[in-house]
Amino acid sequence: MKKKILALATCICLAVSLAGCGGKEESRETSGGQEESADKEAATLNIAYQYGVAYAPLSIVKEQGLIEKAYEEAAGKKVTVTWNQMSSGADINTGISAGSIDAGFMGAAPAITGVTKGVGYKIFTNLSGQEHGLMTNDENIQSFEDLIGSSNQIALVNIGSIQHIMLAMALENAGYDPHALDANIVAMAHPDGMAALESGNASCHLTSNPYIFKERQEENLHEIMDVTNAWGIDDTFIVGVASETMHDNDPELYQALCGAIEEAVDFINGNPEEAAKITCEFDGNSEEEELEYIQKSKYSIETSHLFELASFMARTDFIETAPESYEDLVFDNVSGD
Amino acid sequence: MDEKKRKIHAFAARAIFIIALLLIWEYVARSGMMGEKSELIFPSLEAIGDAFIRNFIQGYAGISLWVYIGNSMRLLLEGLLIGILLAFLLSGLSMVSQTFYDICNLVISVFDLLPGVALLPVVIIIFGVKPGVIVFLVVHAVLWPMSRNVLDGFLAVPKIYVEAGMNMGLKGASLLWGVYFPAATSYIVSGLKVGWARAWRGLLSAEMIFGVASCPGIGLFINQMRTNMNNAEMYATLVVIIIIGLVVQYGVLSPIENCTVKKWGMSK
Repeated sequence: MKKKILALATCICLAVSLAGCGGKEESRETSGGQEESADKEAATLNIAYQYGVAYAPLSIVKEQGLIEKAYEEAAGKKVTVTWNQMSSGADINTGISAGSIDAGFMGAAPAITGVTKGVGYKIFTNLSGQEHGLMTNDENIQSFEDLIGSSNQIALVNIGSIQHIMLAMALENAGYDPHALDANIVAMAHPDGMAALESGNASCHLTSNPYIFKERQEENLHEIMDVTNAWGIDDTFIVGVASETMHDNDPELYQALCGAIEEAVDFINGNPEEAAKITCEFDGNSEEEELEYIQKSKYSIETSHLFELASFMARTDFIETAPESYEDLVFDNVSGD
Repeated sequence: MDEKKRKIHAFAARAIFIIALLLIWEYVARSGMMGEKSELIFPSLEAIGDAFIRNFIQGYAGISLWVYIGNSMRLLLEGLLIGILLAFLLSGLSMVSQTFYDICNLVISVFDLLPGVALLPVVIIIFGVKPGVIVFLVVHAVLWPMSRNVLDGFLAVPKIYVEAGMNMGLKGASLLWGVYFPAATSYIVSGLKVGWARAWRGLLSAEMIFGVASCPGIGLFINQMRTNMNNAEMYATLVVIIIIGLVVQYGVLSPIENCTVKKWGMSK
């Protein structure tokens, strides 16, 4: 009998310790960002961002320590900024809802999903707009007409990604069901999609800067313009989101963050050559390439057609709850539509 | 009788362990330990249970989770079957030819180190963009560990057995079938276990990165739930994955073990 009780106790202890470890660690992470950023002595700011020329202003903010400078000027205190490169908006969403990340940069689509799901953040700035396009290697494909109902495959980054939504928008603009091509999608990373298109394994690739420019230079590929026209370079592509906790608890830090992004965007627009020198290393391009890609991007802190995008996503079941107004999506200081 | 007692004891220990884990999960979920957004990232058991049922009824994009499971299982079985056959072929040939053994040994050591998803770009170029890519990655996941196990099993066969077989006039394929296979069964069975687990994981990670929308699988489903921040649905899908794993473990692999190595007294 004694042995049995002992065994039972072992079971429970084991279970408790297993769950306990996980719990403790995560709760430590939870307290990390928020409480310390509220703490007036040593402020910290955890930022998550992603890779590519669409995020170029962030390299400037990071390299020139713009947030640190702005915060010291405004509050007279130091802030420790931690930059984490993450691979998808979904990961950043989880990080922010767990409280381990204070601000993040991601595609407009996952940001809208996060805001409407109640992750606890809002959009605090626009970052960039890019060119996008649907390229094909098949001469017989000239319009959506040739794709719908066929077995031609369209490579794009992810189901539910901004590229998928662009496709749905373009389909709707052309008078088709926005989900008419869903079964033709194959989800894969941009470089894999480009390889698949060029080797003839996939007939279409819906992609963005810089891959779209590389593909436009290929002679045997041509573009189906509907997508290009549906969501262009002027429309919001990448946005910055900030947790409501940070916004409410440390307004000075929030202002410093907004100011730093604005300064970097102005810098990149005013001195693209100098900016390219700084950012080319992070993006793994040569300086000339980087400059070309930067000049073909649009960096702005004003959103464009963001609410329209959110309404479209709600109407076509990409998200479950529709935002009621533009103000539901963004903080007060953001301008645009 | 003793055997029966042992079984009841094992069952009780596991049941108590699982119940304790679930209780702790529920406690953590309800206590709000995970911060303000606890409900969203650490859903309660009730929410996960609801999501579990919803997954099968509503699913995603109007397709029930059953369809996703069906697609995944089909690709998995295809890959597993090819992988196991190839593993036997490779290790069998290695025992017959010394040259083949030398090369095969190197190939296994090299490829076993490469994660399947890292090969994705090459695979896409060679095989194109179709569900066959996933089958290939499953084969890659199962083939190398399985070959390694079977080969180790063959090498561990006592020389005296092999010589006895040869004295009886067995050689080549008949030697393999008559001596090596039965003598290495315990290695083969453990290879099957490892291979199955690797294949299952390989399948899910491949599907999470490479999603063919015309043949959507469980990995794609998890990815969608993550993208849409439906964490309860995501956890519920993980439970489904665990259940399938357990069914295969206790419904397929254990019986194989029982009527071979255990029956023959090769292992406990």
